[in-house]
Amino acid sequence: MQIVNQITQKPGTAEPEMMLIFRLSGNVFALPVGEVHEILDPMPTTSVPNAPAFAPALINVRGAIAPLIDIRQRLRMPTVPADDHARIIVLELPVNGVATRLAILADAVEEVIETDRAALKPVPELGARWPEQYVIGVARYGDTLVILLDTDTLFRPDAGPSIQA
Amino acid sequence: MTDLSAAVDAFVLEAREQLEGLEEMLLDLETGTDRERVDAIFRVLHTVKGSGSMFGFGVLARFTHHFEDAFDGVREGRLEIDARLIDVSLRARDHMTALLDCGGDSPEAARLEASEEAAHLLATLASIVGGHAQSPTLGNAPVVMQLSAREQMMRRWSIRFHPDATALRNGMRPDLLMAEIAALGQAEFRLDASDLPPLTELDPERSYLAWEITLTTSQTRDAIEAIFLFADDAALDITELVSPNGPTIGPVAAAGPPGNVSQLPQPRAPQTAPTGSSESVRVPAGKLDDIMDQLGELVIAQARLYQIAAASQNPDLEAVVEEVERLVTGLRDATLSVRMLPIESVFGKFRRVVRDLSQELGKEVMLAVEGGETELDKNVIDRLSEPLVHMIRNSMDHGLEDAASRLAAGKPARGKVTLSARQEGGEVLIAIEDDGAGLNTEAIRARAVERGLLPADAPQSASEIHQLIFAPGFSTASALSSVSGRGVGMDAVRSAVEGLRGQTEIATLPGRGTRVTLRLPVTLAIIDGFLVRLGTSAFVIPLAAVEECVEFEEAERHRESGRSMLQIREHLVPFLDLDDVFGRPASTEARRRVVIVKADGQRLGLVVDDILGQNQTVIKTLSIYHRNIAGLAGATILGDGAVALIIDVVTLARRARIAHRQSA
Repeated sequence: MQIVNQITQKPGTAEPEMMLIFRLSGNVFALPVGEVHEILDPMPTTSVPNAPAFAPALINVRGAIAPLIDIRQRLRMPTVPADDHARIIVLELPVNGVATRLAILADAVEEVIETDRAALKPVPELGARWPEQYVIGVARYGDTLVILLDTDTLFRPDAGPSIQA
Repeated sequence: MTDLSAAVDAFVLEAREQLEGLEEMLLDLETGTDRERVDAIFRVLHTVKGSGSMFGFGVLARFTHHFEDAFDGVREGRLEIDARLIDVSLRARDHMTALLDCGGDSPEAARLEASEEAAHLLATLASIVGGHAQSPTLGNAPVVMQLSAREQMMRRWSIRFHPDATALRNGMRPDLLMAEIAALGQAEFRLDASDLPPLTELDPERSYLAWEITLTTSQTRDAIEAIFLFADDAALDITELVSPNGPTIGPVAAAGPPGNVSQLPQPRAPQTAPTGSSESVRVPAGKLDDIMDQLGELVIAQARLYQIAAASQNPDLEAVVEEVERLVTGLRDATLSVRMLPIESVFGKFRRVVRDLSQELGKEVMLAVEGGETELDKNVIDRLSEPLVHMIRNSMDHGLEDAASRLAAGKPARGKVTLSARQEGGEVLIAIEDDGAGLNTEAIRARAVERGLLPADAPQSASEIHQLIFAPGFSTASALSSVSGRGVGMDAVRSAVEGLRGQTEIATLPGRGTRVTLRLPVTLAIIDGFLVRLGTSAFVIPLAAVEECVEFEEAERHRESGRSMLQIREHLVPFLDLDDVFGRPASTEARRRVVIVKADGQRLGLVVDDILGQNQTVIKTLSIYHRNIAGLAGATILGDGAVALIIDVVTLARRARIAHRQSA
């Protein structure tokens, strides 16, 4: 399968970029490969009491403790029971300026493809289905649309309770 | 060349230490002076100047030269030590530190050299050096140096200097050393090239040469040795030549015909030990962190091994595992102790802070330090420095009254700030205490209401109101002075302390003073943990906080002033069900247990499903997503690889108190 670079709307660099394609709750998403640290089989998680639904648990990534992030919470998606294809994608990226290792769940990891951001179609084409701030754009992947996630905003922690001035 | 850069690094490191020591020495001059202190200061300046030019810190060397001049004047009795000299010296020291930080003759160093501060310092130094020569009574608080006639007499020295074979490769500059020797007095040099091999065997990077020097000077042996301080691999021999007529003045004839050097004392340098003692080793802090990380991994791997061995039922294996466990525990304690530093290292900095601030505020302040030998993990100490400076500023700016008010209140005009440290169990208590006016409860309440931190009619107790000074955006000073306007408030102090898993407490007595106490864990890295179970999850309670464990008997429940209490022998102890605290479904297990912990000065029961045992807990901090969840102090990895959360008993104790208050 290949990305068909057919629509060029969002200005961007023409540099091809490697993207990891994965499935979650019936949709197909892409993340920059440069931020992917490793892909693991499902493992036991430790839920964190009183944690936000967006970051419900911790996992042990070979001796380091990483928060498990449920991106479905931000993308307003239902939870679908996982099967044998489920994976954990470990990412390493700056969160609020601090290099952070975190993990997300995927129903299945597909493959790595090459694309360039210039080929992305802006989100409004799809209507209001996806919260705009978490998505950079969409591209065609075979017969399906791939949603390219904005890792800058997607993993931003919830703003804490604001302090009364 | 890497050898050279290593030598430069060593110079920077040593010079930085010397400059830190210099600050102490200069401050010591305020309490009195003697020959030894002045000599020590001169030696530091002289060493930094000499080695600075040797290692490419020309700007630093040039500046230090003028600074050194002033202390040379003091040594020779031409100058007096007065407040003005100490002032300019402290600032000159700061300037030297800044130049050292430039890492050599960089554009930044050139900028500093041309700066107003440098010009001002040099002018002041020059006026002190020049001014005193004409009018030796210029100082306003003179401490006169008396030099005996004998000390000013000229002495003759024979110096043999034989650099190590690798010295040139390491960046040593014999020409500069010789120039420094020449600057001390009248010197005569002879080159000993007897070790020079035939040209065919000559290694151009090796040093084969030695020097014989006869020096006539009024300087001491220390001053001569100081020149060679950074050439510590060299063979150095310094002997005083005593002529039958006693000390002489003026040039002296060479001791023997040139070339006939074999009669001179053989080179050996027993008395010129380098600055560091052979019993201690300097290690970069990063390496200690690496060791600690590895040790953390080892502890976790060891826990896994223990579980496997326990399941195997193999007595031989179990015996070995027990032995390994014993060794790991020993290694842990040894490693933690290596990271321990006396808190003195940070207290020392505050003398200067207090001195500068008391000038700035026009308040006379005495700093008393107690318990400086108390040890804390290096990482804790490093992160304490800023909060402590801020607290001292606060005490001096807001806590202490001005001299007139103090006298009116029947107190000595001079205020006192006491900095103390002591260990108590697994915690170190650091207190900053002033003998000022105490906190003004009503002013704090008014300010808090104004800032929206407190409802106008809130029935808060005085001690609760005092806690508000730690709230973000709070300041009682009616106008921001330059002292408090430095961007950190007491809220920053509290969050820094909490970041170290510590707590802040405040106590105040009107008219008598205020004391802020920081309670800090001795170490941040590994603790003894007490494992408990809730449902299928394991949690860790710091063992240091655990007092005892009892069966949870519903029948022993009491309600007292709206709070759930447990009858533990003759006492009633408040308790929390961790299922409630952590929003878990209520446990259905029949036999549950209560862990009695002591935190924040009170006993508190924590109800759990079961007790799993003890372990060594390698503390990992929580990510930004979970850091602010109340009741969690971190996470750790258990022997079976599972992640367990560490319970923050202090927060829970506070929470229990608040719950009590709200239901009362």
